[in-house]
Amino acid sequence: MAGSGNAHLRPDALLSARDLVVEFPAAGGRTVYAVSGVSLDLAEGETLGLVGESGCGKSTTGRAILQLPRPTSGTVQLAGQELTELDEDAIREVRPRLQMIYQDPISSLNPRRRVRDIVAEPLFIALENVSRRTAMAVWQERIGELLQSLLRRAAAPLRIVGRLASVAFVLWILSETVEDRAAEGWLGWTQVPAAIIGFPTLALLLLAGAIALLGGLIWVLLAVMLPFGLMSRQFGEVSSAVGLAGVVVTTGASAFMLWRTWSSFGGWAKWLNSGGLILLTAVLAVWLVLSLAKPERAGASGVATTLSAMVVLQVFYVAGLDGGIKLAVLVASAVVDALLFRWVLRRYRVNRDAERERAEPRVREVLEYVGINPDDAMDRRPWEFSGGQAQRLSIARALVSVPQVIICDEPVSSLDVSVQAQILNLLEDLKNLMGLTLIFIAHDLAVVKNVSDRVAVMYLGKLCEVSEPDAMFDAPAHPYTELLLAAIPQPDPEAELGSGRIGGELPSPMDPPSGCRFRTRCPHAAQRCADEEPEMREIAPGRFVACHTPLVGETAPVRVEMASASRDES
Amino acid sequence: MSDASVPDLPGSDGRPLLDVAELRTTFHTAVGPLVAVDGVGWSLRRGARLGVVGESGSGKSVMSRSIMRLLPKSRVTSTGSVSFDGIDMMSLGRRELLEMWGPQLAMVFQDPLGSLNPVMKIGKQVGEGLRVHRDLSARAARSAAFDLLEEVGIPEPHRRIDEYPHQLSGGMRQRIVIAIALACSPRLLIADEPTTALDVTVQAQILDLLEAQRAERNMSLVLITHDLGIVAGRTDEIIVMYAGRIVERAPTATLFSDMRMPYTEALFRSIPKVSDDSHARLEIIGGQPPQMTDLPSGCKFAPRCKYAQDLCYAEEPALIEVPAPTRSRSAITGDGTGGSDGGGGEPDVTHSYRCFYPVGTDDAAEALERNIASGRVNEAGVVIRADD
Repeated sequence: MAGSGNAHLRPDALLSARDLVVEFPAAGGRTVYAVSGVSLDLAEGETLGLVGESGCGKSTTGRAILQLPRPTSGTVQLAGQELTELDEDAIREVRPRLQMIYQDPISSLNPRRRVRDIVAEPLFIALENVSRRTAMAVWQERIGELLQSLLRRAAAPLRIVGRLASVAFVLWILSETVEDRAAEGWLGWTQVPAAIIGFPTLALLLLAGAIALLGGLIWVLLAVMLPFGLMSRQFGEVSSAVGLAGVVVTTGASAFMLWRTWSSFGGWAKWLNSGGLILLTAVLAVWLVLSLAKPERAGASGVATTLSAMVVLQVFYVAGLDGGIKLAVLVASAVVDALLFRWVLRRYRVNRDAERERAEPRVREVLEYVGINPDDAMDRRPWEFSGGQAQRLSIARALVSVPQVIICDEPVSSLDVSVQAQILNLLEDLKNLMGLTLIFIAHDLAVVKNVSDRVAVMYLGKLCEVSEPDAMFDAPAHPYTELLLAAIPQPDPEAELGSGRIGGELPSPMDPPSGCRFRTRCPHAAQRCADEEPEMREIAPGRFVACHTPLVGETAPVRVEMASASRDES
Repeated sequence: MSDASVPDLPGSDGRPLLDVAELRTTFHTAVGPLVAVDGVGWSLRRGARLGVVGESGSGKSVMSRSIMRLLPKSRVTSTGSVSFDGIDMMSLGRRELLEMWGPQLAMVFQDPLGSLNPVMKIGKQVGEGLRVHRDLSARAARSAAFDLLEEVGIPEPHRRIDEYPHQLSGGMRQRIVIAIALACSPRLLIADEPTTALDVTVQAQILDLLEAQRAERNMSLVLITHDLGIVAGRTDEIIVMYAGRIVERAPTATLFSDMRMPYTEALFRSIPKVSDDSHARLEIIGGQPPQMTDLPSGCKFAPRCKYAQDLCYAEEPALIEVPAPTRSRSAITGDGTGGSDGGGGEPDVTHSYRCFYPVGTDDAAEALERNIASGRVNEAGVVIRADD
């Protein structure tokens, strides 16, 4: 099992991935070799089945093609366009042409959104990229991306420390500035920048260190205390624990700073005059303007957060005033707030409504394609649907932007057999109707055979065999394909349970076997398999296999005997 | 049930190990009562293997939980009788149930991660039942756990015994769950979709393991699944459930060679088979599973059935019992309706189904023709106009 070598690639492919390598860092400085040099191609209108056990890297391969995340090395070309070299913006523009359907239909659909918005989403993103670029939005995006790319380069814990530190930094500056100027009474506008610039860098470093320590302690506490499931499920949950710790630390730090400042002044009046508060207001105002310039990107919750922050600040101001003027300012700011909220909401909603209206005919059309009645479904939410129907919605979402290639990652694995048949037939119909090109990832060979024009078998990050399905299933060429075939449960009580031959587990992808990666479970393994990695080669027209002793073609059985004979002698 | 002794089933004294009769489980929901299991009855002999097949929502898991008495007390009622080796399960209190779970009945669930304690070492979890039921010391329980891990095929048990569930793969976790279930040598093991979350290769390994352990311990096994392929080679008798009812029950070989219930046929045909050519059209079951709070009158499957006639909508067919045509011997006896069947050597092998137009009969062929002519069913045999 090598999968090295590109003998099976064709020159006229619509999508072509070459020598994809995906590696993830693991604990203790080790590396997970998830995908190690997989090459695949896909002709227009073809369905490529990608099979293997869980952990063999088939899903990772699918995602690497989508650049989610980008592969460690290797190239991916879609209709001649190289995807691995594109920046984030350009990738977003490619994604409408390259869609994905996930295994679990319920959790891949946002439970709080309506079907009409979920299905239309790829359209909004496509439209947004093409036509919605104000100068402000572009500027905001560039800054955002710069920050993002800086953050991406830092390791996760460093990133959190950085975030915490920046928040704490602002708060500290405010309190220090206010404290220093307290004796002098009024804080002059001109003194604010000086106070900020003069703040020693050393303090920042000390602070960052202290916060990292605190954050780490809280993380450990959470990891111990949090109930079932959290520790063992993957990264998402761990990072949400870290995020939670971040919130706790930030909240604590803010509370401390506020208490300190207030107690050293003894009242809101001084706060009002501090100037630092005005600075904070200004920052928030800029933030608000930027969010409003592009509410689609900021999202409703982002805008709402900004507005709430403004209101909190206003309360501080008002609290510092006396008598009749207090009442007047209170009323005035309430009126301003009401108008502002109304304006923001309307702007946001008008945009959404216009988008919706434009997208609606398209959404209705794809819902009908996937066999869902749009009149019933448009205003419902995903959890109101059964698993099979929800998978239809996922398919509709993938179809709406008329993609060139759809990557289906185990789309029927969590469905009942009867529903599975409906979804498989639907994919087949849509393929005939719309000329779709599919990558179909699954562990069930019977399912893969049903939908595929070409099947690629993967094992531990490498390709074993690439072939047309009927030939492969009649006579598997790779021992691993044979093993997978034997494992399929047959709905026939007379059928032989060939499962007795299946032994062992997938080796760890952190420490793959030398030579052929399948040799540790292969009944035909010989010394050569440990020493030398087999190359992908054509053993019959259209049949490619990466094995030293394939079960088909040439004089396969003889070679197996020779191999075992020579092993016996030695 | 049959009072004849069955010589080839060691340990059998002729009485069924588990006898379920008229089991009915109702959930009291906000929109009214939901009868998840409706009048189900079957019995199982010692050492026998029963497959329970049905779609999600057919009541197969609720049935197994009702038998185990695992359902919550509030807003759920179970009636009928469940007799385990003469003990009336329905009348047992909490304390007596704790005595039963483990040494008598045990269960393996679909999601191994959800049934293991993430903060307890594997060895301790496997040995826990032994400490409770057998009063073993910590040391003895640990060595018994070690043996169990070896038995269920965990590589390097000396290392795994001190690991936590999240350090294992899905297949290994399911092996641990099986080891826990087997720890007190139960006489009945109910496996509820034990392999649905697993790969085909691991699935085959787990099913082999269950079969080997069952045979070795002369344990009875109930294998619940939605996949006919899984129960085909691994059970003696199969029950097919739909809308909380048994719609067909037959010895495994009979069910596959001579299925009578249109629902069973539809389930069977919707499975993609390796022997079919690629891009072969799968036969689908049109429509949706029924709304359990608002079941159709008549046959519950009628709206999705390609043979359905007016009679099917008007009247619910009873579970008809006929002798099974093959001479293959079932380890399971009749319906739990009494000990009237067969005093002779062979237990009666029966085939039951709930249909007016059973598959394979001339009546069914005519019914299908009529439906195609009326446009209710298309040429491919799929119901296109569900509501008649």
